[in-house]
Order: sequence, then structure tokens, then C-alpha cells
Amino acid sequence: MEEEILYNQSFQIRGRDFVNGGSVSVQIKRILKELGVKPEVVYKVSICCYEAEMNVIMYADLGTLDFTITFDDVIITLEDEGPGIENIELAMQEGYSTATPEIREMGFGAGLGLPNILKNSDDFKINSEVSKGTKLFFKIHLN
Amino acid sequence: MQLKEIINILSCNSKTSETLLDKDINYVYAADMMSDVLKSCKIGSLLITGLVNQQVLQVSEIMDLQGIIFVSGKEPGAEMIEEADCKNIPLLTTDKHMFEVCGILYSNGMRGKEIQQKEENGGRDTLQSVIPDKR
Repeated sequence: MEEEILYNQSFQIRGRDFVNGGSVSVQIKRILKELGVKPEVVYKVSICCYEAEMNVIMYADLGTLDFTITFDDVIITLEDEGPGIENIELAMQEGYSTATPEIREMGFGAGLGLPNILKNSDDFKINSEVSKGTKLFFKIHLN
Repeated sequence: MQLKEIINILSCNSKTSETLLDKDINYVYAADMMSDVLKSCKIGSLLITGLVNQQVLQVSEIMDLQGIIFVSGKEPGAEMIEEADCKNIPLLTTDKHMFEVCGILYSNGMRGKEIQQKEENGGRDTLQSVIPDKR
């Protein structure tokens, strides 16, 4: 059954754009707060979005984040063009990372991103094709 | 503990507007990795870090951090200070190092989320999320 969409917006994320890194998630957080969504849901969504957004910035070339609110959920899909993930099972392990020293100097690449999205979301799917890109989907219940 | 009291005991300099300093701090978290902050820091904590870049501010906004103390004499740039002022996030600097800052705050009664929650829970371990409890 198709759920009724109450709000939808798409955002572009450019790879290696560290200066604006996080700005999409901050915008999403503001939208959710303005709509009066419960604080714990706002935090969960914005933490997950931030992790996902930074993954695009750190590893991919370009990403499109689609943000949807239905009666029951906040749904995020993020599709990127980039190197993809060779071993998703490894990438889901806490502490596993392929980050460069440059990324680590920025305070990221601890291998916690994807596990943190999994932990904070109610539904999580990831598909990736090496040399093409990654598609990430997660859902967080509003109640 | 009042933020002004923390500034006093750590000999901090406030880089942002003085009007942002009038607040009470309940939790403290220390890390250089923003990944750790996103995973384990309690919402609304005071952050102690040696990392000075734009990402610290973005993470602070996501996690509603009450302020940032930059250790070891590290200084935020003018642009960062301006942005922090707009976002109402106080930026503080101290010449003291991370270990010293944490030790001083701990000995003055400040706690991270696990210990404080354990104490509130009568000494029992709890598995708590960083997200505030349901109201």
C-alpha cells in the first residue's frame, strides 16, 4: 500500500565539499523541528542524515538525498555516484573504515557511520555496486 | 554546573558573545572524532575537543551541544566564530590539554552520560540511547 506523502524534498550533495558538509542534515533538522516532530525523532533523523551525508562527501562524487514524511515515518533515500562499497558486511562493522588520513584529520572515518544509521533507524537497506555507487534507504517511525 | 563557573576553573577565553554564557551544563563529552560525538555523546552536552573545523559546528548543531571548549591553545578562525555566534553556540578556548580539562571538570563533579545515568539509576548499569527519553 502506498503511503500518503505529507512532505517531500530532494537535496544535492557534492562529494568532497567539506565546507558545506552537514548543511543538508541541518536543513532537514530545522524542517522537522518547524513541523513539530518529537525531539527524539528529530535527533534520530538528523544524526542518520548527517552520517549519510558525510559518507557522500567523504567517498562519492555526487549524491541525491530524498527526504519524505508520511503519516507514520520519515523516509530517506540517498543515491550516490561513486566508488561503491566492495564489502557491505565489512562496512557495517563498527571500526571498519577505508577513510584516508585526510578524512580522519577532519574528525571522521572512524568506521561508525553506517552502524550508527542502523542503530538509530527502524528500517535500513543498503545496496552498492562497485565503481557505480551506493543506494541507502532508511526509515524512522514518527511515533 | 554553570558555564561561567567552568570558564573560571579552566581559565577559558570566550571567543563568542558573552550573552551565550549564561547557561547550566549537565553533561560533558570529550572527543576529537566527530564520529564518536555522533555515536555516543548525549544530546545537549558540552564538548571538549582538539579538533577545530567547520564540521565541529555542524555536529554541534545536529546534537544541540551547549558549547565547545577547544583545548591545547587551539584557536577557531574568525569565520567559525561568526557562524557560532549566529548559531548561539559558545566557543571557548583554553591552554590546558584534553586530559587536564577532563580531570578538572570530573573532580568538580561533572560527568559524562554513562556515569551520571548510572548514578541516577542507583548504581545500576543501563543501556541508554543518546536520544533523550520519551516525554
